[in-house]
Amino acid sequence: MINLKQFNWVILLMLIVIMLLGVVAIYTASSTKTESGFEMKNYYLKQLVWILIALVALVTIQFIPGAIFDLLILPGYILANLLLVIVLFMPEINGSHRWISFSWINFQPSELAKITSILLMSKLIGKHQLSEAGILLRSFAVILPPVILILLEPDLGTSIIFFVIMFAILAVSELPLFYLLIMASPIFSIITSFSIPLFIIYILVLVFVLYRTRLANIIIGFVVAINSFIALLTPFIWRGLKEYQQNRILTFIDPARDPFGAGYHIIQSKIAIGSGGFSGKGWLLGTQKNLNFLPEHHTDFIFSVIGEEFGFLGCTFILILYFLFLIQIAKSVSDLNRNENRYAVVGFLAYLTFQLFVNIGMNIGIVPATGIPLPFISYGGSNLLINVIAMGVILKYLNERSVFV
Amino acid sequence: MTKAKTNSRLLIFILIVVLGILLSSLFNLQIIQGANYALIAEKNFLRIKSLPPVRGEIYDRNYLPIAVNKPSINLYISPGNIINRDSVSVFVSQQFDVKLEKIKKIIYKNRFRLYNEVLLVQDVNYLQVVNVSEKFDEYPSLEFKTENKREYAYNNHFTGYVGRISETEYEKRKERGYSINSLIGKNGLEKYYEEKLRGENGYHILQVDASGKSLKFFKHNLHKAPAHGVDMILTIDNELQNYISSIMPKDIPGAAVVMDARSGEILAYVSKPDFDQNMFIGNLSAKDWNRLMNDPNTPMLDRIIHGTYPPGSVFKTITALLGLQKGIIDKDTKLAHCDGGMQIGNRYFKCWHKHGHGKLNVVDAIKYSCDVFFYDLSLKLELEEFGRFTKQNFLTNKTGVDLPGERDGFFPTKQWYVDHYGKYVNILGQKVNLSIGQGELLVTPLEVCAHYATIASDGLWRQPHMLKRFIKDQYEEDFIYEELRLPSSREHLAIVQDALYQTVNGRYGTGTAASLPNVAVYGKTGSAENHMGKTTHAWFAGYASWENPEIAFCIFLENGGHGGSAAAPIARKIVQLYDKIRQEN
Repeated sequence: MINLKQFNWVILLMLIVIMLLGVVAIYTASSTKTESGFEMKNYYLKQLVWILIALVALVTIQFIPGAIFDLLILPGYILANLLLVIVLFMPEINGSHRWISFSWINFQPSELAKITSILLMSKLIGKHQLSEAGILLRSFAVILPPVILILLEPDLGTSIIFFVIMFAILAVSELPLFYLLIMASPIFSIITSFSIPLFIIYILVLVFVLYRTRLANIIIGFVVAINSFIALLTPFIWRGLKEYQQNRILTFIDPARDPFGAGYHIIQSKIAIGSGGFSGKGWLLGTQKNLNFLPEHHTDFIFSVIGEEFGFLGCTFILILYFLFLIQIAKSVSDLNRNENRYAVVGFLAYLTFQLFVNIGMNIGIVPATGIPLPFISYGGSNLLINVIAMGVILKYLNERSVFV
Repeated sequence: MTKAKTNSRLLIFILIVVLGILLSSLFNLQIIQGANYALIAEKNFLRIKSLPPVRGEIYDRNYLPIAVNKPSINLYISPGNIINRDSVSVFVSQQFDVKLEKIKKIIYKNRFRLYNEVLLVQDVNYLQVVNVSEKFDEYPSLEFKTENKREYAYNNHFTGYVGRISETEYEKRKERGYSINSLIGKNGLEKYYEEKLRGENGYHILQVDASGKSLKFFKHNLHKAPAHGVDMILTIDNELQNYISSIMPKDIPGAAVVMDARSGEILAYVSKPDFDQNMFIGNLSAKDWNRLMNDPNTPMLDRIIHGTYPPGSVFKTITALLGLQKGIIDKDTKLAHCDGGMQIGNRYFKCWHKHGHGKLNVVDAIKYSCDVFFYDLSLKLELEEFGRFTKQNFLTNKTGVDLPGERDGFFPTKQWYVDHYGKYVNILGQKVNLSIGQGELLVTPLEVCAHYATIASDGLWRQPHMLKRFIKDQYEEDFIYEELRLPSSREHLAIVQDALYQTVNGRYGTGTAASLPNVAVYGKTGSAENHMGKTTHAWFAGYASWENPEIAFCIFLENGGHGGSAAAPIARKIVQLYDKIRQEN
């Protein structure tokens, strides 16, 4: 039950302020200046309604007894995976099957899968005295079903988030860090395999690091063998790909290759933010926005509108506020005594930070374009609801911490 | 220090690093390069220009033109550069002889599309261009562009025509590269094969600043060439098409369709009266539009698939085939005595021949088109089964021709009669009417033609179609038509085939006006009573055989009189010309 004295009002208050700033941004993003005044779309009203619904959900979660909440995790996870199967049979929107559409709501099951996966994984590996193999096996068992289903949609960006979450949780778990290093090593093998000298340097560094961790020689040999094998295989797989598949991957690495698609949007977004300068062009007065160069500027490209109209000052204000909010969550991690709660909060934190970084990074052109919204600020009901529910869980765990001391 | 404490410190450290990366990138973008980007945003130098594709052309089976592209000069306006809306409207209206309201409306509707070019006047003639060029300096918003326009070789109802995209069509298709100035197939083949004919837009990125220096955001792939539309080779034979168009009666609306019975290819597709689709290219005047819409003979109506009519006696083959299949009659069965009519219940149903035919078998009943034989046969048929059989034979059922908006036709059900005539409706009398193709029965001329083609090919139904193949550079794709074996047996079809031969070539047959000395013509006349006028619709449908049956045809004249005298001679001329074409090849 809720303990009002111990409730973290600071985090809740900051969350509400961030969401309301989002509404301000959506208001300007959905207006278009015309000769005779402004043309408005009512996205901001819808967003306000969603914020209310989400806050009700957040409060409700505080009143669910911890034991019952624990029991709900596994069914929630199974439900999310069922929905991920169902979504594959839904009609295609923009080339992939991501949305379940009812008459009044569009919903991405991958959103639900994210939080239930975080909760289930934390619960399973939070138990004490698990072997290292046990932790790894449980983590992958939780992560892989949704990741595979989401890759089928296909939605590469979202499936990467799952790995980021898993890495973050494992990093704070009892698993020694070098396991993460080993797991990440094939990615570097693939990247370096295109240049033989680079690959040799990389393998030498890898061997050195592993040797320093005093790993058995046989395991080091095994890791090197797997990495070499992957590096040898990569050029063959690459040549086996169709030209358009190769192009898609290259565009992912370098958006300027795709001047008629994502690359064009990123450059328009950079022009919008860059032209905002120090103090911006003023509320509702962004010229890039008003000319409709960017599609979806109330969702994925909302930050470009903020940057254009409020300038460096506005961006800095929002970013610092946002990071103070995240730092509040990070600080609270050390207050949590139960492993599983701590892991879950770290998972959510990683998930929020990663989305924030990828979205803003895309808007300012330092990260490839993916369809990831800015949490709590981008327009979108189901995304907002899921993110606020995640916040509700964090607040709940913080509130209940003393019960288990 | 506990592990949890370490965790918090590590997490906060990472968060501060991420914040630092984002803030420094923003500082670079907005403070260091801000002025530069502000200039770009202000002048809006980065723009995607779309390059429209060239529309595919349409040719007949011998690669002769039907719908082709001709160069034309079009006038465009950029709403962003308009100095004075009224003065430019008046200027355009006076110079190019277009209604002032129309110009004003286009300009008003597009007033927010500041950075687009909007098509204002299509197909300006060259002299006008020369005349106004001097005054153009005063109107920087206007610009001429040389583009393509569609030209149709002759009046017809199958190609349809292209027109400027409407606002609703644009909303639906803007994702697929259509612009507000795009032309789009409005009906006919132009609409049915819009996607293939249109092709795909190309793009070009403009990235220069005021001094003409390239901004170099993108270094490669700045140009994507448009994929031009695919050309279409039709099954139509222009020679046959134009000949039929010329021999159709001038003052009677009607339709004639000729199919290759061996493949379902439509060789000629004539609906009269017709209209010049070229009127719709460029600026159709209100006068012409009103004339087309108010003409009582509805020249815009495609009578072959959009008109449905009572078939009259050309339908008797269906009644006969069902009777044979059900075993009610065989080749020799003679039904009721025709004394000029037949008493059924409390009503006397007349035969068209008031002196009577006597007792006939099925072959003679078709040959002389005796109604009484079919009246009697209908008494033993069940209404719902009759309707089902008709539909199975693709009468009152879409043939699936590759044209938009084909109509079904209509065969009433028992429920329909109850709904319209009340519970005590006399179904018997209704069946009697249906058996000779009267009553509420409605079919399209194309359905009738396809039915006779099926009789010609011993029961193998083939989907009628207009497209023979797509071609473009190396690419070729043939139209795959559907084939279906219909329920009538060869034996029963042979009886009907014999009867159709007798009708044209036998003594006193109703269709002798279609007979030819060197070609075996098969056919059936029809004179259908209707609500549209006092005179009957004239029908003649059948096929012609050399070594084997080759073409099927259907001629229909709206209130044109008797099938035998009005429609059959046209069929004869068609077969004659086809025979000549055949010998030449």
